[in-house]
Amino acid sequence: MVRRVLSLTSGRVAMTVLLLVALLAALGPLLAPQDPLATSDDVLAGISGGHWLGTDNLGRDELSRLLAGSRVSVLGALEVALTALVVGAVPGILSVYLGRAFEWVTLRLADTLVALPFLLFAVAVIALLGNGLTQAMLVTGVLVAPLFYRVARAATLTVARSPYVEAAVIAGAPVGWIVRRHVRSKVLPPVAVAFAQTVGTGFVIVSSLTFLGIGVQPPEPTWGGLLASDLGYLGQKPWAPVAPALLIMVTVWAGNLLADAIRDVSGEAGRALLRSRGARRRPGTTGPDPAPAPSGGVR
Amino acid sequence: MTSAPHPPRPVLEVTGLTVRHGPRRRRRTVLDGVSLSVAPGETLGLIGETGSGKSTLARAVLGLVPVSAGTVVVDGEDVTGHDERRWRALRRRGVVQYVFQDPLRSLDPDLTVEESLTEPLLVRGVPRTEAAARARRFLDRVHLTTALLGRLPGELSGGQRQRVAVARALVTEPRVVILDEPVSALDSANRVRVLDILGELRADGVALVFISHDLGSVAGTADRVGVLYRGELVETGTAHAVVNRPGHVYTRLLVGSAPTLRGAPADRAERDRLRALLHA
Amino acid sequence: MTAPSRTARPGAVPPVPAPPESLPGDRADRRPAGDAPAPPVLSLRGVRVTDRTGGRDVVHGVTFALAPGRTVGIVGESGSGKTLTCRAVLGILPEGFEVGGGTIEIEGTDIATLTPARWTALRGAVISAVFQDPASYLDPSVTVGAQIAEVVRVKLGLKRRAARRRAVELLDAVRLRDPELVGGQYPYELSGGMLQRVLIAAAIAAGPRVLIADEATTALDVTVQAEILDLLADLRERTGLALVVVSHDLAVVAQLCDEVLVMRHGEVVEQGPADAVLRDPRHEYTRLLVTEHERYGLEKVLTPEPSKETP
Repeated sequence: MVRRVLSLTSGRVAMTVLLLVALLAALGPLLAPQDPLATSDDVLAGISGGHWLGTDNLGRDELSRLLAGSRVSVLGALEVALTALVVGAVPGILSVYLGRAFEWVTLRLADTLVALPFLLFAVAVIALLGNGLTQAMLVTGVLVAPLFYRVARAATLTVARSPYVEAAVIAGAPVGWIVRRHVRSKVLPPVAVAFAQTVGTGFVIVSSLTFLGIGVQPPEPTWGGLLASDLGYLGQKPWAPVAPALLIMVTVWAGNLLADAIRDVSGEAGRALLRSRGARRRPGTTGPDPAPAPSGGVR
Repeated sequence: MTSAPHPPRPVLEVTGLTVRHGPRRRRRTVLDGVSLSVAPGETLGLIGETGSGKSTLARAVLGLVPVSAGTVVVDGEDVTGHDERRWRALRRRGVVQYVFQDPLRSLDPDLTVEESLTEPLLVRGVPRTEAAARARRFLDRVHLTTALLGRLPGELSGGQRQRVAVARALVTEPRVVILDEPVSALDSANRVRVLDILGELRADGVALVFISHDLGSVAGTADRVGVLYRGELVETGTAHAVVNRPGHVYTRLLVGSAPTLRGAPADRAERDRLRALLHA
Repeated sequence: MTAPSRTARPGAVPPVPAPPESLPGDRADRRPAGDAPAPPVLSLRGVRVTDRTGGRDVVHGVTFALAPGRTVGIVGESGSGKTLTCRAVLGILPEGFEVGGGTIEIEGTDIATLTPARWTALRGAVISAVFQDPASYLDPSVTVGAQIAEVVRVKLGLKRRAARRRAVELLDAVRLRDPELVGGQYPYELSGGMLQRVLIAAAIAAGPRVLIADEATTALDVTVQAEILDLLADLRERTGLALVVVSHDLAVVAQLCDEVLVMRHGEVVEQGPADAVLRDPRHEYTRLLVTEHERYGLEKVLTPEPSKETP
């Protein structure tokens, strides 16, 4: 799958950007030129040799805060998406196979989660589990899970009713076999798209929670938190939100690009697409193809 | 030894099969007391239209639809009360196989021909190399080149796909193959090719249940023919007898409606009369 | 190609010359004495359809003339060009295709001269069509009666109430039992055969003179197919409707048509009176179609006359 994604230009770009973001998350705090928490009298300063991106309302170095906050931001967003994936997609697939009772319960749970007021629920859970990024992200992930549940369930239902799955059943294949061999490849693309979108919303959610003091305590920097505080001083320093906003945007964009690439290369259409591209690049290697050319233009 | 020739024991025997669908209030009888049997090397044709219950019959025999009454005996084993686990064990033996109507949807679009063909074998725990060898053999059996093994269904023509589907049904060397409208989606040349393959199977002693709405394909292929109408088996007999001396009004209309190159066997007035009789 | 005049013999149809007895003019000549040949409502002369992107012909010259109350059949497998020929006649060729040669005349008017407005007026009123998948031509959220009434209102300019009445009459004309009830139903409540009748009712609403049935019975059960074919034959007799029946099934065409065109890869390989083509096919492809049909067809077990029964 990875190799297939990388064969697309969009896939390569997305992977490169996401790799850079991951590096930033891993090394960001070490790269920070100054102490991200150190305040100074030089508030809301412009770009200078000492402060490449200026300072914020408390005189802290923006670049250092941005770099220092990258790990928490990226991990937080990933945590949201992974939680949602596990809590949502897995029951979504299983709801088709584990019988009526499981189906009924999970469907009602999904409906309930959608109906819950997000902030109230988050505050309640944090009151229960204690404040912390992990708790906050877990809560958010659970609340986003119904999206994954529905996407995975819809894709599974379509596959489960197809004659080829019935043929596997007639061959005596157990549920695990059917899920691994037939269902997974059909469910992956829509779930990947949902995942990329959730990573995107994840950044924003981390920031809005930070703003409320949930998850991450205010002095600690996050991309979303920076964006929020910079937005408060637009009058004095109008270009300040550009840097964190750009980082979030590029990451989200790369995530969506990757999701699109995954969708493009998976399934029948994807394989045909790749085959035709391969044929164009290496004419003659695929030999005469008596099958109807699915994408056209390749001769 | 010149003992009296015993009629071969049927590999599939269905007695009084009844299937009801739907919630208790609006329960519909889809199949009503259908009895039939197929012996090795025999082809039973089942003719029926949309809603006649022909596909339900096939699915009930395969344990995909719950049976309300009656018995199904497969290869001497009464499978009527089987739970999911025993069904799975039975299916793994590959005694009964099924070929679907729509060759476009009966093969997983993401699996290569080889992966589709070996699936029924790998499920049974047949070693990979042996499964691959058998896939090749049965692809050859349906007169397709092994060059297709690495292809995806989307790269095959409709006729090729249906032959792959037939090959998949054969890899377990079943004793009964149920074919649900196997040639309806095919053009004339491929239809003949698939029907030829069925003829060869019969010669090999495989029992076939050939389900179709097309009297022509069934009558030209089957030893015996049954006519399903609204869940009931209204007529059985040799293909020749059913076509030339139909008893039930529906069968008469069916024969009279079938297009032949010399025009339909009945004229328009006769068909109108039969329709009125049938709907009365 | 020089297009011969309508009354003259069209000459050789490329690439296989049609047998002499196959010519449309000829058929008219064989009609009972005193019955002057009616002018054709639809005539095609050397019609070619060109794929503009590939720059090549996909239909290489189709010629036939269709008189009122007559039926011409086009047989061929998918990709043979039969559907493109129909679409050319209806002026609805898909994007990238165009009529690359020959003439199509509907009621004596060359369709190449038609403005879009004239086309709109012509379709439905003079020439109409039904296709394979009836459900996809109907709006699922509107009752079938209302959909037919709409056609009637637009095409005949009838008032709402009169249009409703006419819709019920049309549903009755296509022999739907209880037309009032059916008119009030939604497409999903009807079977495939009933839907096809509804579409036929809509197609004949404005009293067209030509109806094209492109694989109109392909997806239907055998008895339902016969009902639709009988209905078409009935309409033809009652109203003098001329039919173009397109099918991959030789036998369907045999049942209904006076003249048959056998197409393969965009070429008419054989053309002539239906009984002659089917009884004595000359082109190898037609022969193949006939033998394939007879090998696994009802013919194999059907004994037509008890007297001639031979095992």
